Amino acid sequence: MIPFQYVKPSKPKAAIDTVAKDQTAMFIAGGTNLVDLMKRDVLNPEKLVDINKLPLRKIERENGTVRIGALALNGAVAEDKLVLEKHPLLSQALNAGASAQLRNMATVGGNMMQRVRCPYYYDTAMPCNKREPGTGCSAIEGYNRMHAIFGHSDKCIAVNPSDMNVALVALDAVVLVSGPKGDRKIPFGEFHRLPGDTPHIHTNLQQGELIMAVDVPENPYTKNVHYLKVRDRNSYAFALVSVAAALDLDGSNIKSARLAMGGVAHKPWRLQEAEQFLAGKPANEATFRQAAEVAMRGAKAFEHNQFKLKLGPNTIVQALKNAAGAV
Amino acid sequence: MKDYFFQDTVGKPMDRVDGRQKVTGAAKYSAEYELPNMAHAVLVGSTIARGSIKSIDTKRAENAPGVLAVLHYQNSIKVPGYVQEAHPTEPKPAGKPLQVFIDNQIHFNDQPIAVVVADTLERAMYAAKLVKVQYNVEKHATDFHQNVSKAVLPTVAKRNPKHGLNDYVRGKEDAYKTEPLKIESEYVIPTEFHNPMELQSIIAHWEADNKLTVYDKTQAVIGTQNAFAKDWGIPVQNVKVIATYVGGAFGNGLHTWPHETAAIIAAKKVNRPVKLMLTREQMFTMVGYRPHAWQKVGMSATKDGKITAITHEAIGQTSSYEEFTESTLQQTRMMYTSPNVTTRYRILPLNVSTPIWMRGPGEATGAFALECALDEMAYVIGMDPLEFRLINHTDKDPEKNLPWSTKYLKEAMQMGAEKIGWRKRQLQPGMVKNGEWLVGYGMGVGTFGANRGRAKVKATLHKDGTLVMQSATTDIGPGTGTAMVQIAAQNLGLPPEKIVFELGSSLYPPSPSQGGSATVATVGSAVHAVCQVLKKRLTSMVAGNSDTSFKGATVENLTFKDGYVSLTASPSARLSFGDILKQQNLPELEVTEESSPDASLRQKYSMYSYSVHFAEVQVHPLTGQIRVTNMVSCADAGTIINAKTAGNQMIGGAVGGIGMALTEGAIMDHRFGRYVTKDLAEYHVPVHADAPNISSLFVNKPDLINNPNGTKGIGEIAIIGVAPAIANAIFNATGKRIRELPITPDKLMMV
Amino acid sequence: MPQDKFPDQHLPEGEGGQAQHSDARRTFLKQSSLLTALALAPPAALKAAELKFEEKVAAVFEQVKVTLGINGKKQKLSIEPRTTLLDLLREQLHLTGTKKGCDYGQCGACTVHVDGQRVLSCLTLAAMADGKEITTIEGLANGDKLHPMQEAFIKHDGFQCGYCTPGQIMSAVACIKEGHADSDDEIREYMSGNICRCGAYPNIVNAIKEVKNGGHKV
Ligand SMILES: Cc1cc2nc3c(=O)[nH]c(=O)nc-3n(C[C@H](O)[C@H](O)[C@H](O)COP(=O)(O)OP(=O)(O)OC[C@H]3O[C@@H](n4cnc5c(N)ncnc54)[C@H](O)[C@@H]3O)c2cc1C
Ligand code: SF4
Ligand code: FES
Ligand code: FES
Repeated sequence: MIPFQYVKPSKPKAAIDTVAKDQTAMFIAGGTNLVDLMKRDVLNPEKLVDINKLPLRKIERENGTVRIGALALNGAVAEDKLVLEKHPLLSQALNAGASAQLRNMATVGGNMMQRVRCPYYYDTAMPCNKREPGTGCSAIEGYNRMHAIFGHSDKCIAVNPSDMNVALVALDAVVLVSGPKGDRKIPFGEFHRLPGDTPHIHTNLQQGELIMAVDVPENPYTKNVHYLKVRDRNSYAFALVSVAAALDLDGSNIKSARLAMGGVAHKPWRLQEAEQFLAGKPANEATFRQAAEVAMRGAKAFEHNQFKLKLGPNTIVQALKNAAGAV
Repeated sequence: MKDYFFQDTVGKPMDRVDGRQKVTGAAKYSAEYELPNMAHAVLVGSTIARGSIKSIDTKRAENAPGVLAVLHYQNSIKVPGYVQEAHPTEPKPAGKPLQVFIDNQIHFNDQPIAVVVADTLERAMYAAKLVKVQYNVEKHATDFHQNVSKAVLPTVAKRNPKHGLNDYVRGKEDAYKTEPLKIESEYVIPTEFHNPMELQSIIAHWEADNKLTVYDKTQAVIGTQNAFAKDWGIPVQNVKVIATYVGGAFGNGLHTWPHETAAIIAAKKVNRPVKLMLTREQMFTMVGYRPHAWQKVGMSATKDGKITAITHEAIGQTSSYEEFTESTLQQTRMMYTSPNVTTRYRILPLNVSTPIWMRGPGEATGAFALECALDEMAYVIGMDPLEFRLINHTDKDPEKNLPWSTKYLKEAMQMGAEKIGWRKRQLQPGMVKNGEWLVGYGMGVGTFGANRGRAKVKATLHKDGTLVMQSATTDIGPGTGTAMVQIAAQNLGLPPEKIVFELGSSLYPPSPSQGGSATVATVGSAVHAVCQVLKKRLTSMVAGNSDTSFKGATVENLTFKDGYVSLTASPSARLSFGDILKQQNLPELEVTEESSPDASLRQKYSMYSYSVHFAEVQVHPLTGQIRVTNMVSCADAGTIINAKTAGNQMIGGAVGGIGMALTEGAIMDHRFGRYVTKDLAEYHVPVHADAPNISSLFVNKPDLINNPNGTKGIGEIAIIGVAPAIANAIFNATGKRIRELPITPDKLMMV
Repeated sequence: MPQDKFPDQHLPEGEGGQAQHSDARRTFLKQSSLLTALALAPPAALKAAELKFEEKVAAVFEQVKVTLGINGKKQKLSIEPRTTLLDLLREQLHLTGTKKGCDYGQCGACTVHVDGQRVLSCLTLAAMADGKEITTIEGLANGDKLHPMQEAFIKHDGFQCGYCTPGQIMSAVACIKEGHADSDDEIREYMSGNICRCGAYPNIVNAIKEVKNGGHKV
């Protein structure tokens, strides 16, 4: 790591001002992603603004939403009574991520902001547009087993590695942000970006903007939900493909559904057309299979991730089956 | 001798003698010694796979805070022992490690090309990033499959037609080809990495100009001592190697590696002790690996299950500068009765670093192909694979035409089949289900030479009745010290609490490296020997004591028990070991004994350990998720000295085999010749959730032809045969035969 | 956002034997006020400054003061912000029971308790642990009396080489405290952040069960 300056403000404004003014400064929360990337020489902030003194840790009910502070720990959120009651899908997704120790460190804000895990991004000896714009994307013609099948560009095909994000996008969460120019709310689906021509811009957050909380509106998806993560080992691994499925059932009929995928795009991938397809249909495997086909429209794979074209729909079917069967 | 195996200590599930050290954090591994004024070193690796260094700019690194030296081929201290090879154009045989900082040549990606030394670790790591290198890039060859036609017979085999790595033909060559019932399949295993949890590390300390001490992660303290003495042209006794605790190794401590010499050079240059710990990425490029291998097995059998022919070919990768070979095809030559057997072994030099034996080395690679092929053959003839193996079981070594020293593989198979519930297995795949999950059963057999070497042990019996033994072996995890204490306790009749076994220092009497599952047979025999001599010496002391009832006693009519000597005939009169010494006015009794295997017996018998592994797996038909839900590993490994630690070895091997079968495999981007899976998030070793309940069962019958304790090795057979057991179980569950490891959900998805 | 790139790579190549400094370094010195720095700096650092080794001057005041409670003892330390808790424990405080297995949060060997929670010390900047209570494996036993989890690991042979062991034990204690040790499968899942390459997993699970079922206070 390069030598850097370290500050720990106690007011959000001070934190925001410091990072807004200084292009080389970054916030640090749990540090589980940032410290890793600093060690690998991928990120080299010259000033770290530790936000852990800021009062952003609460999880509370706030007019029809569950408001989760940006500094709430992944592990604490996953086990929070309110979250378990109102948004069990979020809890499942969080518990599918990383390890118990990491979940005790990682924050909700940091998880949203975590960078891609593309191995070329991590290795400064190989080209990567995201790390060094204009050098080329090594993954497109290289090792792309873990990469995107939706929304990729000819500049970058990396995926967002978060599990939490998949649940949050399915649950229509809203990100509360405070910045040098004031506060704003960003619908979760608009928080992350597709790589396009600017893969080095990771999210739609601006320099100096601080995530304060995320609001998850209450909804009927409190029972028939399932987060299914398929990975290379049974725990402590990123997803090959993951699916967040939520059903509102009326007997064996689907009133409405929420569906999102992880490990397939540069942002958590909401499957709205498939959701619409599911609405009003019987909850059975045939319906799920058809919905999965709808969901996979437009998918395009690369040399090593062809399997996602099969694993993706299969995982959707299975997640929906599990959700329907859950009590 | 008769009732030896029914006595008190050997076989007991005794707690480890160093358990307390390990659970309290007191055990010190190589990077954990505190030396005054210690500096930290960090290696800089090349970013190309082949070519040469055009320029190296170290100015910024040198000026960075705390930096003491930046060394590379232009300014490194020359290692005196690095002499020019006699035949520079011929490939070097294995055992000649890459020489560090000698010239500007690049042989593989991430080759160490410079070392940065600074006063703190943070500063050394930072400065290492400031070294800027430019290269003359040459075209590299790293892709196994593209270059496979360049595979060659190893030089050792070329030079010596009798060498075991030459082609082997028993009966008719490639006889399977003309048989009616046959299979022919190709198998691939990727490069796999040892990845012990402890990162390779060394502290190098020049105590004087010609006196070197290293705290080093190695499986061979004496080998390392000799290597460094030779490198630096100093007397062997001036080199001290300490490896008291080794945080796993699985083979990668069986070689001396460039980073070790880099640290020694650095220490000499800055004239301070220097600590160097590799990064996890460097563990993938600088300390060896299980080589990528391609194999083909052709097999034929009769309808009633007799194997008529096997042909097994293997190609393993090696580096461009060192020929690494292993016994990939051994099991094929000796395991089954087949009258016709052909084997061919080749190596393929690539612009990669040198492999090194990784647990169950080549045998585990070979067993994957052979034992899967057996399963395929059994399926073709419609026979249960266990029955198929029993039919082809052989009671003597068909390769050497010798009797086995001992072989209880059939017993092991029966124990295992019973325990796993083999009866539940259906001949046709996909017949057994647990909810949505498909259930399958598979088995695989493993074997490894029951090796034994020469070792020396020094034993000192103190007048307080305690015994201290020393030998320069190491313990990378199996519990060597514990087993030696038990052997001594058994043989000398002394409670284990009174015995200490010290290892991991070159100051102790020589022992070979801890490798090839040979430690207990080798060092244990020396412990046995030293105890026999101690008993004799104690006997002559009591017998010479003219005024006691012991006068004239012999070892045969004495009983040694609980630290006392008594007459077997009248046990009430007894003397403690300590009192015997006191009577003689001896503060202690010191004995050093060496033990080596009996060469003539090794001419007369063929000696192997055997294992058989049974796996139960569940596969999800939609998602391809695989779970190993039960495993039973059984071994014929001679006498089991410690049921607890031996069982743990078997469990550990099974977990390693789960990794081999399901999760592990390196991926290299051949455009750069660089690995893209080089940390523990990208290269998956099994975690808790991947390991089911694993039962380990032992036949536990002594092999007294092998050594006086009756042991055979465990470490390797614990993993050999596990991967095919799992692959076969997956076939039984799904009907899908995956012949390229690891078997990940995507592969199941795509067949 | 800062570029994901080492800042020095933007710089022109060095000339004429001059020590090179990054733009970043200069900015930093400006911000931090060189004058104050020099006033605080010891003579050796001033000497370095004369030699135009700004880096070395910078190094003197790039330290932060922290107070850490380590195994029940308060320690006042002055550290570089980039020092991780793991390296602080191992290299400066010589508490080498906490292990480095990867340095990237991928193995669990470095697990310690911070304010009673299990975390990875390799991804914790020591500066960020200011004011917190840290328990390492060295602080788990009660004097000579081993913690029940340590006893259980010995009894069930929950290790081979022992290198992952401190991390496993710290994690195992937390696993029970968190209430995640109710079944074999739950233990396996919640212990999956601790890799044991020796593969002693089933024995570790047995050790945890014994402590859990033995009703020991953890
Ligand atoms: C080995 C390993 C395995 C993992 N496995 C998984 C997995 O399976 N699934 C998964 O989802 N994740 C996984 N993770 C990632 C982990 O979830 C993230 O590292 C973590 O969530 C990041 O949170 P943090 O608080 O530590 O962020 P930090 O590292 O502190 O910060 C990350 C980024 O977020 C920014 N940031 C932090 N807080 C804020 C804020 N409030 N406002 C604005 N910007 C902010 C920082 O500036 C930085 O850019 C894994 C990580 C590791 C190391
Ligand atoms: S996929 Fe994106 S992150 Fe990966 S190499 Fe290409 S540009 Fe870089
Ligand atoms: S060293 Fe911290 S997780 Fe591996
Ligand atoms: S005991 Fe060796 S890694 Fe766990």
